[in-house]
Amino acid sequence: MTDRADGARRADALVIEAADLHKHYGSVQALRGLSLQVPPGSIHGFLGKNGAGKTTTIKVLLGMARPTSGRARVFGLPADAQESSVEIRRRTGFVSDDKDLYDYMTVAEIIRFTAAFFPQWRADLERTYARTFELPLDRKIRALSRGTRTKLALLLVLCRRAELLILDEPTSGLDPAVTEEVLQTLVGHVASEEMTVFFSSHQISEVDQIADRVTIIDRGRAVVSGSLDDLREQYRRVQLIFDGDAPDATFRAPGVVRVRRSGRILTVLSSAGAERILDEARALNPVSSDVVPVTLKEIFLESVAAED
Amino acid sequence: MLWYKSWLETRWRFLIGLGLLSIAACGAVFDYPTVLKLMPLANNIETTIDTSTKIGRLVKQAAALQATYRGFIWWQWVRQNLVGIWTVFAVLLGSGGLIAASGSGGGGALFTLSLPASRTRVIGVRAVTALGELLVLVVVPSLLIPLLSPAIGQSYSIVDAFVHALCIFVAGAAFFSLAFLLSTVFSDLWRPLLITGAIACVLALLEGALALQSIQIGIFRVMSGESYFRGTGLPWLGLLASAAVSAALLNAAARNIARQDF
Repeated sequence: MTDRADGARRADALVIEAADLHKHYGSVQALRGLSLQVPPGSIHGFLGKNGAGKTTTIKVLLGMARPTSGRARVFGLPADAQESSVEIRRRTGFVSDDKDLYDYMTVAEIIRFTAAFFPQWRADLERTYARTFELPLDRKIRALSRGTRTKLALLLVLCRRAELLILDEPTSGLDPAVTEEVLQTLVGHVASEEMTVFFSSHQISEVDQIADRVTIIDRGRAVVSGSLDDLREQYRRVQLIFDGDAPDATFRAPGVVRVRRSGRILTVLSSAGAERILDEARALNPVSSDVVPVTLKEIFLESVAAED
Repeated sequence: MLWYKSWLETRWRFLIGLGLLSIAACGAVFDYPTVLKLMPLANNIETTIDTSTKIGRLVKQAAALQATYRGFIWWQWVRQNLVGIWTVFAVLLGSGGLIAASGSGGGGALFTLSLPASRTRVIGVRAVTALGELLVLVVVPSLLIPLLSPAIGQSYSIVDAFVHALCIFVAGAAFFSLAFLLSTVFSDLWRPLLITGAIACVLALLEGALALQSIQIGIFRVMSGESYFRGTGLPWLGLLASAAVSAALLNAAARNIARQDF
């Protein structure tokens, strides 16, 4: 096989791949057949309500929790094998939801501590981010504000030349100014380095702002997945208004996510082929019909609601 | 750098233990002149205590042992102070760790688990660091005895100090290992500490009760190196058995950590 073909195969390989992932904690089913694919070079938002299984998925990917069944691979390596898990973590930066760090260390100590694990540590970036984030190097971590703690956690993952960043609710609990600073830093860094970002959030606006791909998870299963552009292109809301009460209609066209009736209005959310739905709807004789694009927020809310 | 992290996590327990044991060692040496002055009273112990009973015989034995400086150091320092205080710090240094860190905010368990280091390595470094500290905790105060003894006109063998220190370390590591294993089961600092402390107390009481029946077995007897003190050699069987128990407990702790979800 030629070098070029090798390179192409590597480029095509998925950074994260999970198939039919199940995770039970006693009687609680945290993951129920989750499948996930994250291609290299993407900023992949992982959207879900609280308790949807986002953190469990991340823990499985990083070898912190073992799946009950199913398969999870990162960089093509099995996430549940101890040796490959160490290799995965060597190439990955992780920021936990509560920005878990050693409270008893100072900022300078934890930077020195973390750098020792990564031979390719970027000392130049460390200085840049320490200055940009105005990190107090001599202060104990327990004395840092949540915002500063988040910035420190970010510095620790950005300077290690990671190929993959896994961020669990990176902006939770931050004020809008710090949230913006964190997101901009992330986007700026990814633009200048070759890396993949996989971040969980329940903040739709920030996924909309920085992600190019998204997976929506609900009750341990992926309910929507794809590039944001494709989702925006494919998802449509078909709105039909009738003279009297809207009929209790069913549609045979593929891609119907949800049908709602409210008085004279019938709304159909479609993930593909809105025109075919519209053709079917015309047979119902609505007084007016409209096909309108939908926002990520609507896709999220409708996908999650459709599962209820 | 995991060594550095383990050191930061345990340093205060270690330093407090080192301070306490060093003070106790100094106290033992500089108490001896006072004990010497009381020796005439000990020689007439039959007039105040009924030595025909088992307890009376033990008291007489203890008083007789302290007639020599070597006997006094073994009885007061090794058998009582060093074994007792060191065991407390063995349990303290064995408690805590990865699970306790995951239970308390700011413990950094997830941060540790996200580093490119296996759980076995993380827990191994923690165990070796604490065992190293426990070795220092027993050796350094023990060496103070031969170093300070000339100050009161006495001498004490460095070899004896080392042998007793190593007996305490090898046999007493079982208490550390038990607390260490329990720390991989419970998510708080207190249960491993209290359970191991309770087991140590029960063993001590049991050993005392057996001694009254002239049955000479028990971990604290091995720790104090009594057979070596009495000239009948090292308690090899007890040392080997304790070392084997410690190794088994540490192995169980490593396996327990490796299979856990965080």
